[in-house]
Order: sequence, then C-alpha cells, then structure tokens
Amino acid sequence: MTIVEIENVTKTFGQHVAVDRLSLSVPRGSIYGFIGPNGSGKTTTLRMIMRIYHPDPGPGSIRVLGEANSAAANDRVGYLPEERGLYKKMAVREVLRFYAELKGRRDAVALIPPWLDKMGLADWADKRVESLSKGMAQKVQFISAVIARPELVILDEPFTGLDPVNADVLREAVLDLRKTGTTVIFSTHDMSVAEQMCDFIFMIYRGNKVLDGTLESIQDHYGSDTIRVSVEGNGFDPQTIPGVEKVTDFGRLQELRMAANTDPQAVLAELMKRGRVMHFELTRPSLHDIFVRIASPDAADMMPPAAKGATAHA
Amino acid sequence: MRKTMVVALRDYQAAVKTKAFLIGLLMMPLMFGGGALAQIVFRNNNDIRDKRVAVVDYTGQIFDGINRASNIRNQTLIYEGEGAARKQIQPRYIVEKADPGTNDSAHMALALSDRVRKKELFAFVIIEPNALESRGNPAQSPVQYHSESPTYDQIQQWIAAPVNARIQQMRLQAAALDPKVVLEATRPVLVRNLGLVKADASGAPIQAEQANLAANIFVPIGLMMLMFMVVMSSAALMNSVLEEKTQRIAEVLLSSIPPFQLMLGKLLGTVAVALTTGSVYLFGAYLALKRFGYVQYFPWDQVWWFIAFVSLAVLMFGSIFIAIGASVTDMKEAQSMMTPVMLLMISPMFVWFNVVREPNSTLALVMSLIPPMTPMLMTVRQSVPPGVPIWQPLAGIVLVLAATLICVFAAGRIFRVGMLMQGKGAKVSEMVRWAIRG
Repeated sequence: MTIVEIENVTKTFGQHVAVDRLSLSVPRGSIYGFIGPNGSGKTTTLRMIMRIYHPDPGPGSIRVLGEANSAAANDRVGYLPEERGLYKKMAVREVLRFYAELKGRRDAVALIPPWLDKMGLADWADKRVESLSKGMAQKVQFISAVIARPELVILDEPFTGLDPVNADVLREAVLDLRKTGTTVIFSTHDMSVAEQMCDFIFMIYRGNKVLDGTLESIQDHYGSDTIRVSVEGNGFDPQTIPGVEKVTDFGRLQELRMAANTDPQAVLAELMKRGRVMHFELTRPSLHDIFVRIASPDAADMMPPAAKGATAHA
Repeated sequence: MRKTMVVALRDYQAAVKTKAFLIGLLMMPLMFGGGALAQIVFRNNNDIRDKRVAVVDYTGQIFDGINRASNIRNQTLIYEGEGAARKQIQPRYIVEKADPGTNDSAHMALALSDRVRKKELFAFVIIEPNALESRGNPAQSPVQYHSESPTYDQIQQWIAAPVNARIQQMRLQAAALDPKVVLEATRPVLVRNLGLVKADASGAPIQAEQANLAANIFVPIGLMMLMFMVVMSSAALMNSVLEEKTQRIAEVLLSSIPPFQLMLGKLLGTVAVALTTGSVYLFGAYLALKRFGYVQYFPWDQVWWFIAFVSLAVLMFGSIFIAIGASVTDMKEAQSMMTPVMLLMISPMFVWFNVVREPNSTLALVMSLIPPMTPMLMTVRQSVPPGVPIWQPLAGIVLVLAATLICVFAAGRIFRVGMLMQGKGAKVSEMVRWAIRG
C-alpha cells in the first residue's frame, strides 16, 4: 500500500528542467531516503509532494495519502524544510504550540513536554529560539514537524549540521516514528545514514530518477564487482593491476572496482605478487560508491540501471 | 478559520507582548504632540538679556511715547509670579534716543547698522519726518525697524503699538478731534460664535451655546491623527512577512495553512493590534477630557464608525504591505516600494484643513469618498458640526470595503507566489501580473 504515488511528473523553472518525467511510489510505514547531488531535484520533488510547488501541466499526477488534489496544508503530513525557519523571538514551548495548533491539534500543550524530554530540550522549553544552538534549533524544528502526529513526515536534510550525539538522537526519533506506523521520507547527503536507516532508497540526478529500491536490490544491480584489500608492500599501485577499473583509497583499505568479466582470483594472485595481502574481501559496492559512479564527472560510461528502465524496486 | 485565528493570535501576541509596543504607545503621541509639548516646556525659557534699541525720531514727538511704553513693560510685563517667586521671563527693551543731528535717515541708518554689527545695539528704528502725515502710500512706511535678526520679530511687533498710539493721537489732535470720543466711537463690536437655538420641553427657545471653536477643531483633528497613527501600524506587517520569507518560516507555515488563510490571519492580528492601540488612546483621551472638564466633547457617536474605518483601513493598507513584504527580498527593496503607499496613506493630510473648514463642500465630499482617503476624511467630516448625512459614511464604508476586498484578493495572489520566491525581488509589473493571473 503506497502513501505517496508520483507518476510521470515534470517541473520546470523558466528554461531549467528541475524534475523530468519522474515516477515513484512510497510504501506506507517505510523510511524512504532521497539521495542525489546538490541541485539534482530532491527538494523540488519533496516540495511537490508537499504541494508547495505544483508540477507542470500535463498527464502526470501526484497522490498523497490517496488524494490527488489536496492542498499544501495537510494536517496529516509533517514537513521539515531544508531551510530551517523558526520565529527567533518566541519561546520554544510557544513556537511548538503554535505549529501544533496550525496542524489542527487542540491538545498541543500536552504533546510538547514528552517530545522536549525525548530530544533533551526540557530545560530549554521557556527559552527563546534565538538563544538555542544550531543543533538545538534543528531539533526544535524537527519536533515542530512531527508533534501533530502526522501519518507522513517529510524531512529535507534533517541530519545536516548535527554533531554525532544529536544526529543519534534524531535518528532514534525517526526510527521510533516508523515503529508507530508513520511513513518517513527524508533526503540526505550522508550515504551511511541512508544505508543504515532507509527501507527504500531513491536517487535523483539532473532531474531524472536513477535509483529506486531497497539497498539490496540496488546493490544487486551492480553485482559483486568490488574488492576491498589491504596490502603491505612498497610502491603498491592497484591501478596497474589488469582488470581494475577504479581505485578508491581509504587509507588502511583500498576499494578496487573490477571491470566486467574480471576474475577476482586473478586480481588476488596479482596482489600477492606485489605484496603481503592482509585483507581481501569480495563485496558489493557501497551506496557511496554507487552514488559516486553515477554523479561523478567521469561517470558518462556508467549507465545507471534505473536509467535503463530497470529500477530496482523491491 | 480556526487556523486563521491561530495565526491572528500569534501575530497579535508577537506585536503586543513586547517592550517595543509599549514604547511605541508612548512615542507616537510624543512624536505628534512633541512640538506642542516643547512649546509649553520652553515657553518661559527665553533669552532674558537686555535688548538695546536706538530710535531716531525725525518728528521729535514719538520717542517719548515709546520710552514710556518700554518703562511700563520693563517694570511690569516681563515678569511671572509674585513676591519671592517673581521671575523675569522676557528680556528688557532698553530704548535709547539717537540724535540725527544734520544726518539724513540713510546715513543715520548706516551708522546705526555699524553699531548693531558691533553688538552695541540689538536693533534700531527710524521714524521719518513725514510719519505724522495721514496721507501717504501705506506701502512706503515712514517707520523702519532694522536688525540683523530677522526671525526675532517681538521688538518689531511690540514697538508698533506705542508708535501707532502716539501717531494716531497726534493726528487726531491735528484734526481737532477728541481721542477719547473717537476711541469710544470706533470701539469694535464682538461677533459671538453660537450654535443653533433649541427648544425646551414647553417649546420655548433655549439660549444657544457658545461655539467652542477649539474643541470643534481639536476633536476632528485629534480623531484623524489617532486614526493615522493606528493605521500606520499596519506597516509592521511588511516586516513580519519579510521576516517569515527571509528566515524561511513561510515554507513551514504554508505546509500547515493555505496562503490566503495565513494572510488573513496576519491581517486580523494586525487589526486587533490597531484596535488595541486605538482603544488605549481613546480611553486616555476620555480620561484627559474628564479630568479637565471637557468630557462633553468626547465623540461617543464616532466610536463605532472609528472602529469600522480603522479596521477597513488596516485591512486595505495591510494587504498592500503584505504584498510588498512577500515580493521583496530585503528591507532596502521594501522601502522603495513603500514610499508610494505611504504617500497614499498621508494624502488626507494635504486637504484636511479645507475639509475641516468646509466639511460639506463638494471637494470635501468627493475626497472623503476616495477609498484610501475615506477613513480619515470621513471621520473628520463626521466630527465637525453639523456632521454629514448618514448615507455619506455608509457610501464611504461600501467603497472602502470594495477597495479592501480588491486589495486583499490581489495581495493574496501576490503573497502565494512571492512568499516562496527567493533570490531576487519582484518588479511591480510582475506583482501586477501575479495579482491578475493568479
């Protein structure tokens, strides 16, 4: 059962096509991650789901919570925009009450304390927003998006700018939302967050959908073409090994991407000739690697599976 | 509607629960009444150094009169208080007789001018030989007052009285007329300014009341200024909308409430702020009038009209300010767009005097039916006796309501597009296009 259904939607700004004939569907109760380089159309798509932007006229359609023509102001949808916005002069409690009441909650006062406790902001309830740190303000903004207990929460870059402790608090809160049946769509630049949290991952690049599916299905499309190695030896340059197409150096480990039909055993044999192999792991590409393959400037020859019409939707 | 009220309440509280609001409440009357207050405070704060004036009297018959008048003035008229509290509040005028000798008036004037430049004198007066002649060109005055302080005209005004008194006396004597008889015969008669005569219960006429010109002018002007101050507060909407736009609060708001309802909430919040301000001032005015015994001049019958006109004016101008706030990206852009709107707001100030003098003239009627001017000018016309026929304020309300609806509708469309537009501000032509096409 889907909670958001987008079919063949295009959005242009002047001459610029921000989103091009996009289709996707978000299963109810899932965590759905949007990834993509800056300016690729993530925020535009999220704003279209929020109906803050309307798609170009045409055959396309957007259905949110089963409704095709609902207004932007939907009490069943919570929204955390990329550009945070809070009234600086208002107290935290007041601003949360205001946002909850705007979503139609009459019991706003009772909803606030549990959330402030959960996010570690109980002592700041009566402080003005302008006195909060950036991380605290971001958590307040998050609470404002979810306090009215929406069925669908859309978070645009919720983890950006948070320190690891606050990021963990927020991650826990998002996972708790899913436990209560809330569907969460969020965009992120942090591939590890997407890998760890998302049931489904969607990637948009230059306005086009290039990935859409579970992490496993996406990785399956790329196959086990990656080797992680650690080799002791002087003058070791994996790039010169036949069949190795690309090397990503992580310091202690190197990640080698093999060309099609390359035998991993042949690569291992070659590595052993050049030094002492401490670690050898045949693996599937990480989301980070897949992202870079698609979005890097020299990725012209890396036709993404989704672009060929083979989206990896589970 | 509930969400609209939530926004209205937030905006109202955000405006009223601040020190700036309280300070503004005090500052506005100070700004407008500051001039009058300064006059009262500094009324007796004059420079009381002696002012020496030389008089060249070619007739030889006028100086003594001036000298006597200055002595009386210096001994009695320049003080305030009695006994130990007696305090000099005006400068003494020391009059000295300048002997012209054989010099003509032009050379005397030159010599005395040099003394003024050297600060030996403050001013000098030359009374020509023909000053006593009754026939002559009034434009070529035979009495000239010279000083290098043209803005300080008290001496010039004071000296005219003893000079003229003496000249008239001399002329009457020359004509063999008794000055006392002439004074009695030419004493002016006061024309009293009265209201209309009413009848008592038995139908007998009651003496008409003396018209209080000051009150009859003060009340309409006071109401108009109050309305101006209150309606001006709608300009704050522009800052509020600009803050929501630039700090990206708008996106969060618009995900919860439709743009038109959001705008309406902001407008209603501002109307409430304006009415709060107006009520505070009206209550203050009532207390002040009661304290000084003028409570009968409190315009009770105007209060409901005032509320109606203030509400509509705030909605009308407020929606224009909202449209501007939503269309620009910073304060600088906003201010250049505000100027024409402010001009429109203060336009009643250009004609209020004509309207007060002749509230029922065609000009006053037409002006008071032009929507941006209606709230202030119709209020003025209503509060000057005898008031206006009821159809006129009703027609004014209908026209202002129509203009308000157009403004709110157009602003709603501009607001919807402008609030999410970042980067560059909109041109007026773009705003018009958004307003028309949606």
